[in-house]
Amino acid sequence: MKIKSILIANRGEIAIRIMRTARRMGIRTYAIKTAKEPSAWYLDEADDIIDFSESLSDTPEFLDIERIIHAVRENNIDAVHPGYGFLAENPIFARRCEEENINFIGPSSGVIYNMGNKTVAKDIARKNNVPLLRGSKGTLLNADYARRFANAIGYPVILKAAAGGGGRGMRVAENEEEVERMYNLASNESAKAFNDPAMFIEKYVAEPRHIEFQILADKHGNIVHLGERECSIQRKHQKLIEESPSPALDPELREEMGNAAVDIAKGVGYFSAGTVEFLLDADRKFYFMEMNTRIQVEHPVTEMVTGIDLIEQMIRVAQGEKLLFAQKDIRLKGHAIEFRINAEDVQSGFSPSLGTIEKISWPESKNVRVDTGVHDGSVITPYYDSMIAKLIVYGEDREKALQESSNAIRKFWIKGTKTTLSFCRAVLQNRNFRKGYFNTSFLSSELKIHYHSEPEEEMLAAFFAIYDFARDLEEAEGKKLNVDKGKNITPWLLNKRLR
Amino acid sequence: MWIRERILPPGYLINVYDNRSVMAEKNKGAKNTRKSRMIALSSTEKEYVFTNPLDRKVKYMGETLQIKLYEDPNGFSYVLWKNKKYPLEIIEKNQNRYTVMLNGVWHSFTIETPFSLKRKKFLESQAGTSSSVTIDAPMPGKIVEVLVEEGADVKAGEPILILEAMKMQNEISSHVDGVIRKIAIRQNDSVMKDDLLIEIEKH
Repeated sequence: MKIKSILIANRGEIAIRIMRTARRMGIRTYAIKTAKEPSAWYLDEADDIIDFSESLSDTPEFLDIERIIHAVRENNIDAVHPGYGFLAENPIFARRCEEENINFIGPSSGVIYNMGNKTVAKDIARKNNVPLLRGSKGTLLNADYARRFANAIGYPVILKAAAGGGGRGMRVAENEEEVERMYNLASNESAKAFNDPAMFIEKYVAEPRHIEFQILADKHGNIVHLGERECSIQRKHQKLIEESPSPALDPELREEMGNAAVDIAKGVGYFSAGTVEFLLDADRKFYFMEMNTRIQVEHPVTEMVTGIDLIEQMIRVAQGEKLLFAQKDIRLKGHAIEFRINAEDVQSGFSPSLGTIEKISWPESKNVRVDTGVHDGSVITPYYDSMIAKLIVYGEDREKALQESSNAIRKFWIKGTKTTLSFCRAVLQNRNFRKGYFNTSFLSSELKIHYHSEPEEEMLAAFFAIYDFARDLEEAEGKKLNVDKGKNITPWLLNKRLR
Repeated sequence: MWIRERILPPGYLINVYDNRSVMAEKNKGAKNTRKSRMIALSSTEKEYVFTNPLDRKVKYMGETLQIKLYEDPNGFSYVLWKNKKYPLEIIEKNQNRYTVMLNGVWHSFTIETPFSLKRKKFLESQAGTSSSVTIDAPMPGKIVEVLVEEGADVKAGEPILILEAMKMQNEISSHVDGVIRKIAIRQNDSVMKDDLLIEIEKH
């Protein structure tokens, strides 16, 4: 059934991203306004706004299932796109949409439930003969049980929240002394973040690559993979730079892993866009980690190399259309890299940097795509994650994409907040990254300094500080600069041009 | 588009602090700022010495520099140095303490005159070396748990407390061997970045 209107139950860049495709398809878009950012840009991009700014309950707006369902019914909206995060992988929300006859743009609630529970997801992988790491089949009773299990499978081990995601509720224990403390840390974190302290444990692969496959399936049993994304550049399990294709895969391994991903998706009865995550160890053996039943933050790199608009495909699948391509039609062309630009202070351990984006600008180019939810004057609030933009750069091959990336980052200017751009520069400077030799331990073992600055840059900064200080001194001494008559203007100001 | 007519002051100089009298006092004796020598002392104690900072012929380490400062129509300030543009802004200034963001990386300095630098070094040599170190909050957050007690022995790398920030629980470890001398926070306290958490007497 044709979708005529969509409520985007999300904010920021992904809301804008979804609205743009929807509008191109002639679909009316609705956005949710909250009191936390009542003048955010994504609201300007929507055709209609549903106002949630009056708080009715303690539940955050984008997690308030019944309120969202009510708004959809009241406005006669056909479908809901959840984006990523918030309710995107909440089976109850998908279930409620199904009950109310609202088209949920994503997989079925049953699939979300099965894949969201990591122990169930692993059972499905096992049944489909996809390789797995040794670990507990169910959740652990307590810290003591975790210790005994870890002793049995050998260290290091990783403790993971059954309901986890996005790097939260995860800890590595190197030995028996650490395991109980790490269990408690991860379990507490999970209890707070996901309202579920349940943990499971598995063998930890010390320096793996994180490789994930994009899946696309319709409701008629057709299913393809759109190649992989290399997401090994992470900090505390949070992805920072992603690319497609991965420098670690050759066509044979790609086919093998892609088939495994398709098997898992088929095994669970998947439709819509989804992602199957694998670890790839140093011997190029891969292990199934989990399946994300939603659009991913890093989906643009796949779009750049396949030319397929994933949001459009999700909407078409939700309408019941058949995929118009088969696996043999999918070709990866060129290379794309995504840099997440977060409002974080890289020089202080990536701590959040709040404030106002005074100015933001980037180079316009056919090889550069920027997905962002902020513009000049946008406020970075503490309520949501710190990502302010995604810079996606395309090149004919990895070498050219890296070159384009350096140029684009050099011209990506943000004033008003500290960002991870300096980190992106540091990674691009690294020889092993450039060669494609890296894994998830890149930040902790390879990149000792997480930002990049040329020696002369500090000199220039020092000069600017002295210049400013001297000017203030001069003013304080009463030698006011006479602007109108153009006398005593410093040579710096004469250089200032108005274009 | 709104065209900026104002020539002075450029955007980054609008927030001139209000302690000008202090600065004037401090500068007594320096007859002419334009001709003076100034030193930016970086956080790693590196000294950047500039002469005639406001002059067309600014000198750095005896060499005349060609640095040009611009403000582009979008409101960004940048320096042009050897044909490359470096965006910059002052993100903090307090008397003679500056933090300048240049090309996405911030640098902290104190601005000194040759005399004040000499005095500073003298005072530091008098103070001697302290045997205690402080553990400060690396980011704003909430104290989830304190893992040590006053008087306890700690080893470098040993976790001493758990700080929750951005929904992540972070273990804060001691970076020295020593004895916990003072615990300045309690469980469930909210802390700001750089708040003192724990003081450790080094072994």
